Amino acid sequence: MSRKRERQQDAAPGGGTPPLLGQPVTRRGFLKGASLGAAALYLTQLGCRGGEEGIRRVVAQPYLYGDWTDLYRQKWRWDKVTWGTHLIDCYPGSCLFRVYTKDGMVWREEQAGRYPEIEPGVPDMNPRGCQKGSCFSDVMYGPERLRYPLRRVGERGSGQWERISWKEALTDVADGILDALEEVGPESVIYELPPGNGGIVNGPLPGWRLSRLIGATVLDSNGMVGDFNVGLYETFGKFQFVSSIDDWFHADLILVWHMNPVYTRIPSVHFVYEARYHGTKVVNIAPDYNASSVHADLWVPVEPGSDAALALAMCRIIIDEGWVNREFVVEQTDLPLLVRLDTQRFLRQTDLAGEGEEARDDQFYVWDEASGGPAPAPRDTLRMNARPALEGRFAVTLASGEQVDVTPVFELLRERLADYTPERAASITGVRPSVIRRLARMVAEAKRVHILQGWNVNKYYHGDLMERSQALLLALTGNFGRKGTGMRGFNSAQLQVGTVVKDHAGIEGFIELADRALDVEEELLQEDPTLTEEMRAIGIEQAEAQRRVLFPYDVGPLTVPAAFYWYWHAGYKDVWDGHPDWSDPAMNRPLGEYLDEAVSKGWWEGVALPQKDRPPRVLLEVAVSTLRRTRGGYKVLREHLWPKLKLIVAVDVRMSSTARQADIVLPAAGFYEKTDFRFPVTDVNFLTFTEQAVKPVGQSKPEWEIFTLLARKIQERALARGVTKASDAAGREFPLDKLVERFTMHGAVRERDGDALAEDIVRDTVRVGALPERTTLKTFRKQGIVRFTGLGQTGGGLNLATDIKPDETVSPLRWHGERQVPYPTLTRRIQFYIDHDWFLEGDEALPRHKPNPQMGGSHPLRMTSGHLRWSIHSTWVANRLMLYTHRGGPFLMMCPEDAEARGLADNDEVRVYNDFDEFRVRIKLSPSVRPGQVIIYHAWEPYQYRNWKPYDTAIPGMIKWLHLAGGYGHLKFWRDNWQPQQADRAIAVEVEKAAGEGAV
Amino acid sequence: MPARRSGTAPLKQVAMVFDLNKCMGCQTCSVGCKVLWTQEEGEDYQWWCSVNTMPGRGYPKDWEGMGGGARQDGRALAGRLPSRAEFGGGWQYNYEEVYTSKEHIPLRPIDGNGTTQWGPNWDEDEGGGRWPNSYFFYLPRLCNHCTRPVCLEACPRGAMYKRPKDGIVLRDEDECRGYRFCMEACPYKKIYFNLARQVSQQCILCFPRLERGVAPACARQCPGRLVFVGYVDDEDGPINQLVYRWRVALPLHPEYGTGPNIFYIPPLAPYRLNADGSLDESTPRIPMQELEQLFGPQVGRALATLKREIAKKRRGEASELMDTLIAYHWNELLGPWTRDPATIRWLRPEASSRGSARRAQPEGR
Repeated sequence: MSRKRERQQDAAPGGGTPPLLGQPVTRRGFLKGASLGAAALYLTQLGCRGGEEGIRRVVAQPYLYGDWTDLYRQKWRWDKVTWGTHLIDCYPGSCLFRVYTKDGMVWREEQAGRYPEIEPGVPDMNPRGCQKGSCFSDVMYGPERLRYPLRRVGERGSGQWERISWKEALTDVADGILDALEEVGPESVIYELPPGNGGIVNGPLPGWRLSRLIGATVLDSNGMVGDFNVGLYETFGKFQFVSSIDDWFHADLILVWHMNPVYTRIPSVHFVYEARYHGTKVVNIAPDYNASSVHADLWVPVEPGSDAALALAMCRIIIDEGWVNREFVVEQTDLPLLVRLDTQRFLRQTDLAGEGEEARDDQFYVWDEASGGPAPAPRDTLRMNARPALEGRFAVTLASGEQVDVTPVFELLRERLADYTPERAASITGVRPSVIRRLARMVAEAKRVHILQGWNVNKYYHGDLMERSQALLLALTGNFGRKGTGMRGFNSAQLQVGTVVKDHAGIEGFIELADRALDVEEELLQEDPTLTEEMRAIGIEQAEAQRRVLFPYDVGPLTVPAAFYWYWHAGYKDVWDGHPDWSDPAMNRPLGEYLDEAVSKGWWEGVALPQKDRPPRVLLEVAVSTLRRTRGGYKVLREHLWPKLKLIVAVDVRMSSTARQADIVLPAAGFYEKTDFRFPVTDVNFLTFTEQAVKPVGQSKPEWEIFTLLARKIQERALARGVTKASDAAGREFPLDKLVERFTMHGAVRERDGDALAEDIVRDTVRVGALPERTTLKTFRKQGIVRFTGLGQTGGGLNLATDIKPDETVSPLRWHGERQVPYPTLTRRIQFYIDHDWFLEGDEALPRHKPNPQMGGSHPLRMTSGHLRWSIHSTWVANRLMLYTHRGGPFLMMCPEDAEARGLADNDEVRVYNDFDEFRVRIKLSPSVRPGQVIIYHAWEPYQYRNWKPYDTAIPGMIKWLHLAGGYGHLKFWRDNWQPQQADRAIAVEVEKAAGEGAV
Repeated sequence: MPARRSGTAPLKQVAMVFDLNKCMGCQTCSVGCKVLWTQEEGEDYQWWCSVNTMPGRGYPKDWEGMGGGARQDGRALAGRLPSRAEFGGGWQYNYEEVYTSKEHIPLRPIDGNGTTQWGPNWDEDEGGGRWPNSYFFYLPRLCNHCTRPVCLEACPRGAMYKRPKDGIVLRDEDECRGYRFCMEACPYKKIYFNLARQVSQQCILCFPRLERGVAPACARQCPGRLVFVGYVDDEDGPINQLVYRWRVALPLHPEYGTGPNIFYIPPLAPYRLNADGSLDESTPRIPMQELEQLFGPQVGRALATLKREIAKKRRGEASELMDTLIAYHWNELLGPWTRDPATIRWLRPEASSRGSARRAQPEGR
């Protein structure tokens, strides 16, 4: 059925047929009458198809055309234009569109093309937007769109639904939550943060606020989806630093290494190719010859998961050839810091201070060649007064009188790199030594090197080792803290969003918040006056993760790392403890013992929720699709977690695989149906606006309204039960009789006040200097985008550590590079040596290569993944137009040789299996796939696979034990940061022809 | 009714250049076109603009072997009519069943035995050669709005014409009776038959947009900033420069004889690898023969020019060609059609005194 035709028919009640060239359209009627009669009727009731609300009747206008050309002229017309963007978890996304509405329906959208020139001589960002953004209107009215609240009437997952009113739906949800609060406690209510509908006014934030107010468990989404760059964090004490995409143009050498930007950053890639025409060399390092290889100058095929060996061999060559930027290394990194050879620990002040003297255990030393003795490395600046040695062994007398040998980290690094000759690296990576040498020379010779890495690297089990090795390569050559240099991290923190931290709205709320933040800051400064602004902001975030510091009353923690919850409640204990062979062999105990040790040592003090003895009862997710996104989730969660849950609620725009398995489904307003901002990322450095083009489709509602109504309902039902508060295990109390008052910011922002909330966010952001003065919601209604002028005041924002200038691209870390401001690591420098017990135990104090564990057992193929070109996570993945532009369903890519050896042909259905599980899929053969590798892109809906078993079913979702470490400087949890996440790359599988079951 | 205009040269000719070294196969051009023009009955399978991975069988499947084109004397050669199955795509899916059935039935096409067999981008990212020296690139295609349009020649109804003012090839859909001789004759197989309406359809080069000063959707929506649009006759314009001065923009299959007005900057590719893994810098990864088959004998020269100019930039020297291809300002790509469409204010039909869509006059904001 032609979608536009269908929309018109939806809008023409009574079966009236709108004219198309004067001919009656019969196709839809035919389909209805033939095979889908009953189902179609039923679905119209559910709102899965059809739908009448929110869509104005198309007034059948007489055709008054001069000739046929006027038909086309008429098509390209509209009644109304609004701003639009797509509130999804896409990087960088933030694409400004114009939305064209005709006859009360969104007819189409087109990139606005309104980005100004930023830096003269650098191309502009127009026209940001991709094929998906260009057809969201098709998803908006498509069959996957949710239009009405639904309640399951059959077994969970049986697909038997009834349409219910909002009142009924909210009553069910409120009662379910109250049952959980009474039976177990607030920790048993699990809230998952999305990427799926990632607005700032709406999207995840309203449900998050409500969850904090009732003390629910909010799982940290960054760790859940595996988008935490662990290796960057270990090295820099942060990962939220990222260049704007136009800064790529300044690089002389771009290494596309663990990113497939041609699939995942469609509107940004032009900067790479324009840079190439400008003289930049482009290298792609990847196992397969992929879409991002084709326009590179050099493609370097590597064994999956061997990248650390490649980077370390390059580091070795750079040191051996004398190409090290010593000035940078001495000033910015920990490589000059002294390590005791007897303990492998840094030499600390506590080693040298006499009895009774005050000594810090985070004061480190260099060997001063000028004085011939140890000199403290300044903690308040990167600038060295001493002349630090990088090589040599020295004797130091400790306070105890004992004499020990010490050596700079650089010396230890050289010893480690002895293992990484190009020849040995070649045997690990499959890259010829001459190519490794050439690459090393290219890096050394380039003035500005940028590594374009996405979130692929950190989805490897040892991804942190790879990232640390990549960072080492750039640090040795001085490629951080300047234009056109660096590695891609992430940042989404310039916007000051008060929803989950403010009690009152408006200036009053902002001042309260700032006052409380200042109190914490003062406490922190008393402890250590050398803390930088960035460190203090991180400290506030860390405090908020442990106890509330920003609200005037008790609220639940901001977010909670998911690993503990997975282990204790969701079934992963069996997987993680049961398969030491799928983990690093350096682990000499089951994962559970490490986890227990980490908890008992207090490394996760205050954040290790949910409590072991407080089982989950309610799952509330907003466009998350828990089952789809959790590695192995469709298997493990449905077996272990689902039975414990008494209520599963999915709030979504579309019918996800998790909504399909939920108890209550609540329809959310789509991207062109509400006032909102796309969560901003520094990559684009603009705040991007979307506004209401049409009323919410069907009975869908913006999330702010949904959760305000839910707060009202919880309070109402609680009082009817005589329940006035909930109490958590720590004894915190969450009054339910004040829920509405608190949720609405004391009545300032009620259910229909989304615009007021948007205004509040803009006002606060202006106040912290991140948006130009006098910016209001009106400014956005006028121009759609506003460029950020500052970093804001949150830890995440300050992690950028750079000034935003009106006429320059954004290059992060310049405060460190240019002003010698210390890094927020334990050593306050770019830190390559981590002398934590566990890191020493695992021999990972310094970066190294470790083989990828055979996750899934002993099978010959390695299954890798990456983001699909045709969807942003699973939004669009089931859209008909997008399905037309590939093979119409999931496929596994394989090289012809591997297929032939198994008797397989293109488009065959195969069984992919390992010791964990199996799934079925069709194969697509390409000589560009590396032999021994199979590729399946993310994120098909489980319901696109036979038996609804997605590829994640074969992924055990292992975590790396070291990421449970703590009690060590920056290795401390805060929102989006330090925590374990599941590995899903290079899974061991075998593929065989599926027994004939007919078509999928 | 416009008469057949064979042999009449238009006053000006709209042309486009696609820079294949920037194309990433994202299909935003295709989708922009589809959402705007081909979402009606009978158009599900039609992609007036489509992007294929080359080498590949393409859309419709194996179109390059279907014949058509122009004889030496300019007359149309009859080719083969592509079948609906050769176009593929346009599947209808069982959403209802998936969302409401007790069984876990996968999302799949309702027709065709529940499987898909071919579509407009079926062989995406496959390409040719053998690993590690496999190769591919992306080739966007739309109607070439040829200088010698054989579709026009082949139409017995005289329904097709080449607009005198800009050389756009159009079909009078009131006159078309769906004989499909145009489809047979078009060697690029960029004409589609609408089964519901029984007329042929093809790219109209967004003439309603051009008329209002707005670039075609495929060009304006291209996030790769690789589509130049303009009058080829405009001697200072980038298209004229790229096609005639630098000679780096080449037509697709010039031997078809129709004089296409869509040009391509041919693709470079990374170095090949020798059997021992060392770099082979002497043999191009994409075999020259294959590129010559596509873009004619001039392709080697064009690639050499590109390499020479890139090398200049790497040495820090100026290159006018590279600066043209970089297109620092987006509007440099869009020729005379740089207007933001949102600035157009259509008059409401009821506000008009006369019953013609032409009554709609744009007003600047």
